[in-house]
Amino acid sequence: MADHWIGRFTAMASPCEVLVETSSHKEAAALLELISSEAWRIEEKFSRYLKGNIVHQINTANGAAIEVDEESARLLDYAAVCYELSDGAFDVTSGILRRVWKFDGSDRLPDPASVAQLLPRIGWNKVVWNKPRITLQPDMELDLGGLGKEYAVDAAATLLEGATQASFVVNFGGDLFVSSLRANGEPWRIGLDDPLHTGENAVGQLQIERGGVATSGDARRFLLHDGKRYGHILNPLTGWPVEGAPRSIMVVAETCVEAGMFATMAMLRGPEAEAFLDGEEVKYWCER
Amino acid sequence: MQLKSSLRVKLRAATCSLLAVTAGSAAAANFGTRWTVEGASLLYAENKRTTVFEPLLIVKRNFGAGQMLEGKFVFDAMTGASPTGAAATNRSQTFTTPSGNRYTTQTGEVPLRKFQDQRGSGDVSWTKPLNRRFKSVLSAHVSAETDYQSVGATGTITADFNQKLTTFSLGGGYNSDRINPVSGVPDGLTRVNPNLTHEETRSKHIADGMLGVTQILTPRWLVQVNFSYAKEDGYLTEPYKIISLVDTLTGETRTGDYLYEKRPDARVRQSVFASTAYHFASDILHVSYRNYWDDWGIRSHTVDLKYDLELSDKVNLEPHMRFYHQSAADFYTYSLPRGGAVPEFATSDYRFGTLNTQTIGAKIGIRTADLQEFSFRLEYMRQSGNEHPDEAVGVQQNYSMFPPIDILILQVGYSIGIP
Amino acid sequence: MKLRLLLLCAAACLVVGCAVQSVQPWQRDLLSEEKMQLVPDPVQGFLDEHIYFSKEASSGGQGVGGGGCGCN
Repeated sequence: MADHWIGRFTAMASPCEVLVETSSHKEAAALLELISSEAWRIEEKFSRYLKGNIVHQINTANGAAIEVDEESARLLDYAAVCYELSDGAFDVTSGILRRVWKFDGSDRLPDPASVAQLLPRIGWNKVVWNKPRITLQPDMELDLGGLGKEYAVDAAATLLEGATQASFVVNFGGDLFVSSLRANGEPWRIGLDDPLHTGENAVGQLQIERGGVATSGDARRFLLHDGKRYGHILNPLTGWPVEGAPRSIMVVAETCVEAGMFATMAMLRGPEAEAFLDGEEVKYWCER
Repeated sequence: MQLKSSLRVKLRAATCSLLAVTAGSAAAANFGTRWTVEGASLLYAENKRTTVFEPLLIVKRNFGAGQMLEGKFVFDAMTGASPTGAAATNRSQTFTTPSGNRYTTQTGEVPLRKFQDQRGSGDVSWTKPLNRRFKSVLSAHVSAETDYQSVGATGTITADFNQKLTTFSLGGGYNSDRINPVSGVPDGLTRVNPNLTHEETRSKHIADGMLGVTQILTPRWLVQVNFSYAKEDGYLTEPYKIISLVDTLTGETRTGDYLYEKRPDARVRQSVFASTAYHFASDILHVSYRNYWDDWGIRSHTVDLKYDLELSDKVNLEPHMRFYHQSAADFYTYSLPRGGAVPEFATSDYRFGTLNTQTIGAKIGIRTADLQEFSFRLEYMRQSGNEHPDEAVGVQQNYSMFPPIDILILQVGYSIGIP
Repeated sequence: MKLRLLLLCAAACLVVGCAVQSVQPWQRDLLSEEKMQLVPDPVQGFLDEHIYFSKEASSGGQGVGGGGCGCN
């Protein structure tokens, strides 16, 4: 008799899975349905690629104020707090830099002038956010990609906690949440990708009782030019990749969102990443 | 608890807000509020009678996975005057207290005896989910005042069915009390004589159980029905309460004409309780009803209404009303006839007579930070009964046999969650 | 007495038998609020229970145990 079920689906361009400690296929199927719906709902609502959703409305408002719903307001409040706490390094208006940076493993760096041209169009301090209304300058854009996956993990976990008392793991492409020890008192064993390769062989195992795990790293998205490696975490103030950042950081925290934010903030501090996380007394693993 | 940097604290708080895990949400307990500390003080003041000051402290530790340990510590300081059970009559009455003091009651007034006491109590409770469906709660209690000590324990199991839409609960408790009145225990229905010494200590045991079911009806509405049963054995009489002997024609009481009260040494109590909560757009309505009956002849109805009005993100106002009516115990009497047959049991304790209690008040809650809340509650309570019952004899008809009691209740509280 | 128990059984059946709507797990956000607990404020509940236990002849209904005191 199975002691746990694994449900898999694809969302946010990542392989997603949920592991639930139940022997009931019926319950596992219902829970998979529950969280895949939630993952797709969040993806559709906040994706910058879909027309008509709230992000698209905000980005095409052309200077007009857009009234957002309660969930979007919470994300924007969070983005605002993280902008403050990171001294401007975490900025949800920096997404337009992707127009000139293509991290395809090649050696093609963008032309510095085209990067500099984008800088005036970046800056959360230029956004007028008076809940529930947000106003962007006509040439600015919001990109919630830095929060979306971790938020979806925690939202899915919240739903599962309300729907079952079984122990579970929600894992959206490496950003995950573990609810509790398994019924036998043992922790779930999560296989970890080797951050330096493509992740085919799990080289380590993570055992946590309860919490969120998020990874920030350049394993798959980078540029290599003149022997120098450019990671995909961009500094919104310069428009260029953060210098001296670790290759990858994995953080464990109470929730996936919190873990992801610590990982991102650490990366943005480049050489100071480990010192920052040590100072905050956060559990992490770092590769340089 | 380590000192956390302010960035980590701020990020944690911001994350809680993002995940819609507000301070008011039960889910907050799951998202890392490791400790909760709650303090409150109650001031209870009856007009010209008893005043009670009751501070309390609750500390809760959340171990995760639904396991919680809670400790509750309460202190009561009571002072004032309470009715002895003797009836008002057409002259002043003088009494001697168990400790040898004398006090006098004016003509037509209900005799009150001054008292002062302190009580301390401690409770500890352990909640633990047993598996996906079952959860257990075990608790122990101890309390002591000058003339009364109590020890007890309870255990409750809840079971979730139907994707947690239906929950059954079964609980049981046992209490063992020791009563050691200041001047010993008098023989019931004998003449009051403060010079006699009596047996020192008596005991009382209570076993009770409850069966309940809670059902979620809609995403906004849930309802609960409970059935409770309790059996008490031992010394159930009030050692300080007395009954006036009155002339069968004139209703007058002669000096020193009083008997100690006497209640049966067993009691079976039962009740049916129904309660519901309904969530409007942001406000919540709570309504409950209890129907109670016991084998002492008491029947009561209790209706309680609370409306949680969410004024803003941080402030809520909760008006409250409660209505209570009870019918008298079989052996309740306003007084006994002098020279008449003495019944097997009798009490003149007004709390066992026909009485109504009405309460109206409101509470304000102010959330000062994500996991901190202040609350202030003010209530007015009024107890009334039959002021001129048919049983009033002679001069008793000229006086109020149950003057209404006006009571003010003030409660101040503060609670903080620590991640 | 019999009528009472009959009423109780009827009420319990009504409660258990009919969820008015089927409530999906993702619809439980309101229900999970602390203020939706049937005893929304346990401190107030405890203090009030103590008051009414001391001033009236009835007690209980929503739980078991609770210490005795020499006030009734």
